[in-house]
Amino acid sequence: MSHLLTALKVAGHSFAENYRSRFFALFLVFAGVLIYSSLLAGVMAVDEEARVITDFGLALMELITLAYALMASASAITREMETKTIYLVLSRPVSRPAYLAGRAAALYAVLASMLAVMALIHLSLLWVRGLAPAPMYLKAVAFIWCKLAVITSAALFISLFSTSAVSTVVIAAILWTLGHFTAEARFLASRSTGAAAVLLSTASLVIPDLQLFNARDLASSVPAPAGPAFLAAYLLLWLVVPYLFSLLLFRKKEF
Amino acid sequence: MTGREDAVLTLSEVHKSYRAPGLFGTAVIPALRGVSFELVRGEVAGLLGLNGAGKTTIMKLATGLLFPGSGSISVFGMPPSDMRAKKRVGYLPELPYFYPASTAAESLRYYAGLSGLGGAELDRRVSEVIEKVGLSPHARKKASEFSKGMMQRLGIAQAVVHDPDLLILDEPVSGLDPLAIHDIRVLISELNGSGKTVFLSSHSISELEKLSGRVFIMVQGALVRTVERREWESSSGGLEGIFVNTVKGGGPGGA
Repeated sequence: MSHLLTALKVAGHSFAENYRSRFFALFLVFAGVLIYSSLLAGVMAVDEEARVITDFGLALMELITLAYALMASASAITREMETKTIYLVLSRPVSRPAYLAGRAAALYAVLASMLAVMALIHLSLLWVRGLAPAPMYLKAVAFIWCKLAVITSAALFISLFSTSAVSTVVIAAILWTLGHFTAEARFLASRSTGAAAVLLSTASLVIPDLQLFNARDLASSVPAPAGPAFLAAYLLLWLVVPYLFSLLLFRKKEF
Repeated sequence: MTGREDAVLTLSEVHKSYRAPGLFGTAVIPALRGVSFELVRGEVAGLLGLNGAGKTTIMKLATGLLFPGSGSISVFGMPPSDMRAKKRVGYLPELPYFYPASTAAESLRYYAGLSGLGGAELDRRVSEVIEKVGLSPHARKKASEFSKGMMQRLGIAQAVVHDPDLLILDEPVSGLDPLAIHDIRVLISELNGSGKTVFLSSHSISELEKLSGRVFIMVQGALVRTVERREWESSSGGLEGIFVNTVKGGGPGGA
């Protein structure tokens, strides 16, 4: 059996497990309520109703999915280790690279489906109000997924050496926040000297630049800071590199 | 240790230690001290020892969940982590745990799939095994609704679903009621009757006495004695007497 097929089986099962968890259902209900609450903000905005509902809704979608992504990725592997269900998987012809890839792929798929459901709720809200979605709407949702996929990969890696799920969530959340200031770090590095310059340059290299996946920034920047090919390559890099580092830790992990 | 052609599992001078991080550095706790033995095709062999004697460590090493510090282990002439070896091994960990939201049938389908089964063969094996372990009335129940005995039966089912040649069973009758113990004993005998090699550990001397052809007695990580069935059958105290004398006779090197 190929590693790819094994990874797909692990991913399929892991995806279903996510869907069956009450935690997941709770998140979706919460997301629906919050997105509909953006209606209030829209009403208060009067002339800018469409823009406010769109921006507010997208921001809520991102935050809710981020919270789920951090919690799910922090516990995806560690929980299997704690409950020992991993024994029944890794004692079978399941290679560790395939297992890791399957778990990561399931999380990416769960986040994509969560965003799709929330986007449907959000678009239905705009439709009910007789408002047209912004032209960059789908691109913005896709970019939210890209950011989440990057932070999920990083959180999976962190979870393999972190002492608890809480510390994984905290470290990944810090990484997420810093990821929105990578351009500023690069700018400061170019203006600094000595240790500060080295520190800032290193930080801008090891922290993903999540602002690259900000649809509104991309649309308003002339010339665009990054083309589609660069963004695709950047996303792939930030999915593959944490995976390879995770594999280094997981390869010889004992259970 | 010279390898026999019909050797199924071979341990040769295996040492294993665990590291326990503490306040003043990391303590190294020896778990296995130069353990060597060989299991041959078609036999039922038991591991007997007090808590912490190294029984579970041996089983995890044989399934690739742990790695030896030194020495070598081979399963069907291959390293335990080899996918071809894993395909031929069925493992029941002590107190198996299953995904709580999955039904017994779903769990078995997942594990059978990971072991390389698919299509009609997978359906047939899952149905057969559910029937064999007496879980037919509970196949659609979620694992979270299972009693300890049902979990153990499901644990046996996942270990045999892919028709492995070597069964590694860690405490298969631990905490079960007498009827469940009887059923599992009959199942193990049937599996052995169909040519499977069975390697089991137990605290229950009487269980090992009934099932095994050979018993390895472990004391503080060392294999101190191998007892053949004819020995305990001809001994007035039976296997229990031999075990007590061996353990009281001292740790490694004492017997």
